Amino acid sequence: MAGIVLYNYELDENCYKVRLALSMLGLKWEPIAVNAFPGNEQTTPPFLAMNPLGTLPILKDGDLTLFGAEAILAHLARSNDPTDKWLPAEGADFAGVMQWLVFSAGALAVAGEARRSSLFDTPGDGEALQASAGKLLRIMDDHMIARGYEGLDWFAAGHPTIADIALFPAFALSRDFGIDHDEYAGLRRWGRRVRSLPGFVTMPGIPDYY
Amino acid sequence: MTTAGVWHPVALSASIEPGSSAGTHIDGKEFVVWRDNSGAPHMWEDRCPHRGMKLSFGFVRGDHIACLYHGWQYDTAGQCRYIPAHPELDVPGSIRVPVFQTVEVAGMIWVATEPTESAPPAPQETGETVSVRSVFFGAAIDAVLAAIETTPPRPFSGEAAASVLRQIDGRLYALTVGSDTLLLGLHSLSGERTALHVVIAGPAARYSGKGQAHFLAWTAELRHRIETQPAAAVAA
Repeated sequence: MAGIVLYNYELDENCYKVRLALSMLGLKWEPIAVNAFPGNEQTTPPFLAMNPLGTLPILKDGDLTLFGAEAILAHLARSNDPTDKWLPAEGADFAGVMQWLVFSAGALAVAGEARRSSLFDTPGDGEALQASAGKLLRIMDDHMIARGYEGLDWFAAGHPTIADIALFPAFALSRDFGIDHDEYAGLRRWGRRVRSLPGFVTMPGIPDYY
Repeated sequence: MTTAGVWHPVALSASIEPGSSAGTHIDGKEFVVWRDNSGAPHMWEDRCPHRGMKLSFGFVRGDHIACLYHGWQYDTAGQCRYIPAHPELDVPGSIRVPVFQTVEVAGMIWVATEPTESAPPAPQETGETVSVRSVFFGAAIDAVLAAIETTPPRPFSGEAAASVLRQIDGRLYALTVGSDTLLLGLHSLSGERTALHVVIAGPAARYSGKGQAHFLAWTAELRHRIETQPAAAVAA
């Protein structure tokens, strides 16, 4: 199949990362709706053949099949952004993007677990997940407050990168798992800047108006 | 001059940008702090009279704040001015959100939770201030003050020096180390949660950037101490 196809579930924050990137990069793409809840379709053999982890999103781009939102963001940026802004090629900007992408895909995944526990009653100690997610948002907030002292508005560079896209859903959707934005002044400021980027789109749980 | 109990610091001035809002608490009650597009700060009860939605989830347009649920718009006096579902309606004066006296002092937004003639706390250091951050603790104000005494910052300018914490008035404190002075706003979110609003009393030319980062690191140390020490040890 030619072109870009996203196996998508509208309420999945990891699919939202990819939808944000596709929109901000101005790319044409086709969604294929996956019945993730309640069907768990992504854990059935046709999907496991594409992603043995049984998670979304999955992206097809020509002959390439990719899973993992952060890897997909890196692929989309590298192959579609000739200015290398969204994924800087080298130096401290590249290193910063990698650090925050790994943070997003690794430690911050607990925010997704907290959200699924709250919305879909998936197994897990909801309160412990919420507390862990709150501490990770605090790490992000501390970072953005320090960036502000340098006059920098973005996580990893002097301009928005895919790190900002990857990190945005956990903060923007935190009310879904009971964490308000009151105590995160650095993230509120950053979130407003993300919302003002060309191509920004919302998802259920993120208000259109701001 | 005494203002204890009436005036509360609720945010750093720099944390509430024009056209934005944030929720907060004072002693367990919910409020929304917002700044209109002309730059004036406001604090209201965080509750739309229509369906009880939090106004801090809403959005600021010009000098109005609008509820996220149904777009009811309120002017800076808390009076409802526009109901999108009834665009022709002259909105009754009874549809009104409780508002509170709000001023900016020492780089912070202060509000009076009851009507008062008293002035808000004012520092002697009336010059320029530089924001550090608001930091949040799962502890009451007394425990936070005790931790500040036992975990003081090092001076940014010059050699190590003893720190002096003094109450200026009500919830406003000054913490002096060497030739540096921090102004601290103590904000009781609830009986067991406290916000500390931190600004440097001094010129941006001297403290902007590295000076801010220096005292940011102190707030992280303070938070770490409060979170890792048993309450009795912090108070000791």
